[in-house]
Amino acid sequence: MVAVTSTKEEALNTYIHDIGGYVAAELEACTRCGMCAQACHFYVATEKVEYTPIWKVDLLRRAYEQRFTLSGRLKSALGGGQEVTSDDLQRWVEYDYYACTMCQRCAMVCPMGIQIGSLIHEARAGLYNADLIPADLKKALDGQLEIGSPLGVDDATFEDRLDWVSDDWEVEFPVDKQGADALLVFSSIEIMKFPDNMADIAKILDAGGVNWTLSQEGREVTNFGLYAGSDEKEEEIALRVINAAKRLGVKQVIVSECGHAYDALRFRIANLLGEKLPFEVVHITEVIGDLLARGKIQLKPDVIENKITFHDACKIQRLGGIFDPPRTALHTLAGDNFIEMTPNREEAWCCGGGGGVIAIKEADTVRRAAFGLKIDQINATGAKQVVMTCSNCRLQFADCVDHFALDWKVSGLAQIVAENMVEEE
Amino acid sequence: MNWVPLMEFVRGPLFYFAILFFIAGMAYRLVNVLALGWKKDYVPAKHNKLGGSIVAFLKGVIVWPFIPRISQTATRNPIIYFAGGLFHLGLFVTVLLGAAHILVWKSLLGFGWPSLPLPIIDWLAAIAIISLIVLFINRISNPVLKLLTRVPDYFNLLFVFMPMVTGFFLTHRLFLSYEAMFTIHVLFVDLLLIWIPLSRISHFMFYFYSKARYGAAFAQRGARP
Repeated sequence: MVAVTSTKEEALNTYIHDIGGYVAAELEACTRCGMCAQACHFYVATEKVEYTPIWKVDLLRRAYEQRFTLSGRLKSALGGGQEVTSDDLQRWVEYDYYACTMCQRCAMVCPMGIQIGSLIHEARAGLYNADLIPADLKKALDGQLEIGSPLGVDDATFEDRLDWVSDDWEVEFPVDKQGADALLVFSSIEIMKFPDNMADIAKILDAGGVNWTLSQEGREVTNFGLYAGSDEKEEEIALRVINAAKRLGVKQVIVSECGHAYDALRFRIANLLGEKLPFEVVHITEVIGDLLARGKIQLKPDVIENKITFHDACKIQRLGGIFDPPRTALHTLAGDNFIEMTPNREEAWCCGGGGGVIAIKEADTVRRAAFGLKIDQINATGAKQVVMTCSNCRLQFADCVDHFALDWKVSGLAQIVAENMVEEE
Repeated sequence: MNWVPLMEFVRGPLFYFAILFFIAGMAYRLVNVLALGWKKDYVPAKHNKLGGSIVAFLKGVIVWPFIPRISQTATRNPIIYFAGGLFHLGLFVTVLLGAAHILVWKSLLGFGWPSLPLPIIDWLAAIAIISLIVLFINRISNPVLKLLTRVPDYFNLLFVFMPMVTGFFLTHRLFLSYEAMFTIHVLFVDLLLIWIPLSRISHFMFYFYSKARYGAAFAQRGARP
């Protein structure tokens, strides 16, 4: 059983190597009060106690205590303590990859302010290094490393898709245009599943007079390195966009409607690289908000006559702070027909599909169970249309609307904005 | 039995040893964590990070736990929320504002402060004791807590419970002579002080760190902590 032992060693070594002061202090701060369970959509939907957020990082705690604390070392020396077994590692694959979207809702109820979502990332790192990541995630990651996309968007496919979208939606896609101010980067979900979003974003940027371009090298902002829990791969993938942006000399990188990619590029990658990025990273929702505020684009008021609601995405709203621009747009478009869900903004329930969960076949059951909370929330508003700013959420909504046979219309914000802009004469 | 020699020991040498052990132990715990290293932050912040930390503290120390910071926190966790909150409130007010405890603070620090009237302290102490019992029952019956709890967590409850309940008996002159109950009370305080650095009761120190970091992270990301 050499292989199994080394697998375990890999995971433990990663935990020990990756445990910095912040991880240690947060693990030390936990009083085992268990309040995080009730903040987690996976726990609330399934009532499976192992889905208690802090339990999902228990292997990290055990590794930390054995290696770094006096009492833990003492217990290990005496043959006590809770040794991490290979069996444990297998079980934690489910808790850390299938049943966590790293949405950080638990951090908001933790009396100690422990950011369990960040700790889950560290927990995933150990499982990744032990080669225990779910096969579907591994396949997606390999696809991204080898051809540049988890969904098979190679150079030729990218060109084909651009040609097709430009023809059908009558938009131009400048690629590697020198002198552009902004580099626009899409997620693979948009390229392969929501091509309308590509056209809509292009229309908005053109109407707003933004001097933008795409890039062949940095065409996809999706980052399966982040989902997998590998800082090294996350860097490798993000560097494609960063290098493209540097070469094009743009002032801004605009991330399309993709949550985790915005998280990686806006809030994580500078610290992984250990340097400031030479450009600004913005989300398309921020760009839309800015163009509306400056009057560069205008929306037709009160054109939406049915009730409509907005879903806050964890990475763009709770962890990205972009709460108001989508709401301003929806107020203009729908007036009093725009109904907020309860709870909303920072406190919103996660869709259940983020963090790579939707890419994992084995997680389908728990992912759809978690969506039950969203169904209740939206039914309470009476809305039949729900808008969001994240294609990953949108994929989860589309899948669950189909699965549960719901009569809702699911829209991206860019889509609804592009459809309802006042045309320039 | 003559309790005086033992009383002199527990409130003299043992008490000072316990305090030194407490301070040294907590310092060791802190250094142990700090030594693991800190990284520089290269990410431009959306809101002021220090402001976020301050807001997180204000909410945590002043508002918590009586106003929910996130909807349904209280209704989804009523026992831990209210019993946990009342326990901390009762404990801190008793220790900091009880007349007898202020005398101890004065002997240690050289100065004291006004105390709250005894009936108020007495009620808060009783509430804290009852809350602790409720928390214990919750810990042995709630399925999530059954999973999370390990043996030291029960010791934590016990080591906090004993000084509180003996202090209450002492105030009301129950069961034993004043000297005997006083001796037992101080002995358990000494044991608690020694136990804290060895256990998760030390969470109060890491609280300041994790809460500050949480507030800063949410502010950096443009969200309200």
